[in-house]
Amino acid sequence: MFKSFSTHILQHLIAQNTWACSLLQPFAGKSVRVTIAPVHSTLVILEDGSLAMAGETNIPDASINIAPSLLPRLLAKDEAAKLQIEVTGDTHLATALAKVLSHLHWDYEDDLSKLVGDVPANKIGNFARSSAQSLKNASVNFASMLSEYWQEEKPILAKKRHVDQFNHDVDHLRSDVERFEKRLQKLTKAREASTSDAGATPQHQVTDSVK
Amino acid sequence: MTSEQNTHFGFKTVAETEKAKKVAEVFHSVANKYDLMNDVMSAGLHRSWKRFAVSVSGVNPGDKVLDIAGGSGDLSKLFAKKVGPTGQVILTDINASMLGVGRDRMLDAGLNVPAMQCDAEKLPFPDQYFDCVIVAFGLRNMTHKDKALAEMQRVLKVGGRLLVLEFSKVWQPLSKAYDVYSFKLLPIMGKLLAKDADSYQYLAESIRMHPDQETLKQMMVDAGLSKVDYYNLAAGVVALHKGYKT
Repeated sequence: MFKSFSTHILQHLIAQNTWACSLLQPFAGKSVRVTIAPVHSTLVILEDGSLAMAGETNIPDASINIAPSLLPRLLAKDEAAKLQIEVTGDTHLATALAKVLSHLHWDYEDDLSKLVGDVPANKIGNFARSSAQSLKNASVNFASMLSEYWQEEKPILAKKRHVDQFNHDVDHLRSDVERFEKRLQKLTKAREASTSDAGATPQHQVTDSVK
Repeated sequence: MTSEQNTHFGFKTVAETEKAKKVAEVFHSVANKYDLMNDVMSAGLHRSWKRFAVSVSGVNPGDKVLDIAGGSGDLSKLFAKKVGPTGQVILTDINASMLGVGRDRMLDAGLNVPAMQCDAEKLPFPDQYFDCVIVAFGLRNMTHKDKALAEMQRVLKVGGRLLVLEFSKVWQPLSKAYDVYSFKLLPIMGKLLAKDADSYQYLAESIRMHPDQETLKQMMVDAGLSKVDYYNLAAGVVALHKGYKT
């Protein structure tokens, strides 16, 4: 039932995003296992360019592994986080599927319009969008307020400029240490060379007396 | 009579030549109430299983689809919508009574779907003709399943798909309850609704005699299909097998 339901949702989304079909169609019949530990599921690309859940004995052609810690960054559309997604097997296939999955857009207004009509669906859509935006703004404001409090009033968080200064100092110290290490090596070598020169003469003398 | 000439008809052993005749009698008997009984027996789930089969078929507009043992035409109707006016769906069944029901339904729905009475073991179509062949709840009634699968493979184009939707082996913890349902309740429902307990007794028995998921998968591989995979539906009460001709 789960596979049937998920397939229905995937195909509905693909039907709303027709651009995805042409992107996936060249990979028809292939499958990709998507893992976000501990959950995983295998998607198969159908001949019409749509997606379905794979069956019980499917052997995937590619795998996409997403570390759970990457999820919040991916949801926040952090481009650097995308580079940390692990792709194995047919990378062209996995990349195409990852692109489709990350750009799929649910046109909920279109779905709602079939139930309640175009105008109410649009109104509900506008309300949902403005509510989401307000919630996002409120979250950002709350986060800024908290960080300001923890930086200024009860400083348990470091300010950016302090962190930068600290990083700069650490870099500086590291170069100083490296310079010192080089100098020490140079001095040690010089000392070893002079010691070996001084010890060479008595050795020759001993050899001569034996002869 | 040698054992090679015998086959099973439910739990009974009959001569191979007799099986088709006996299956035909069963379906002549239930034809008019076939869908009603299916709805009652599966709580309407057979419709969702068929829809799922169509959704994973990957059929495109303009494709050619063969519906084998299509009977009342549920799948042909769904496929006809999917292939559109440029495609072609052919409804076939070995049983004239079942095919008659399906043909009339297609006509009533205003769909141009040819209905053809034929034996799945000797399909009257050229090699590599169809993009998709489907057999739903029909394979278990066929006398030589291997021959039928080979025929289905023959008429598929390269890249074409064979879908087999059929009762299968239920998830072990549910098997006791499923047995009670199949052998006690099912014949009673058959008697009450279709006035035919024997036919529904055969249905329950034929399900038990049908190969399980892995065996059918291997049979499809042996018939020349590749990348065979299956979906367990309703905890394995039904399985949908899909294989490709390569």
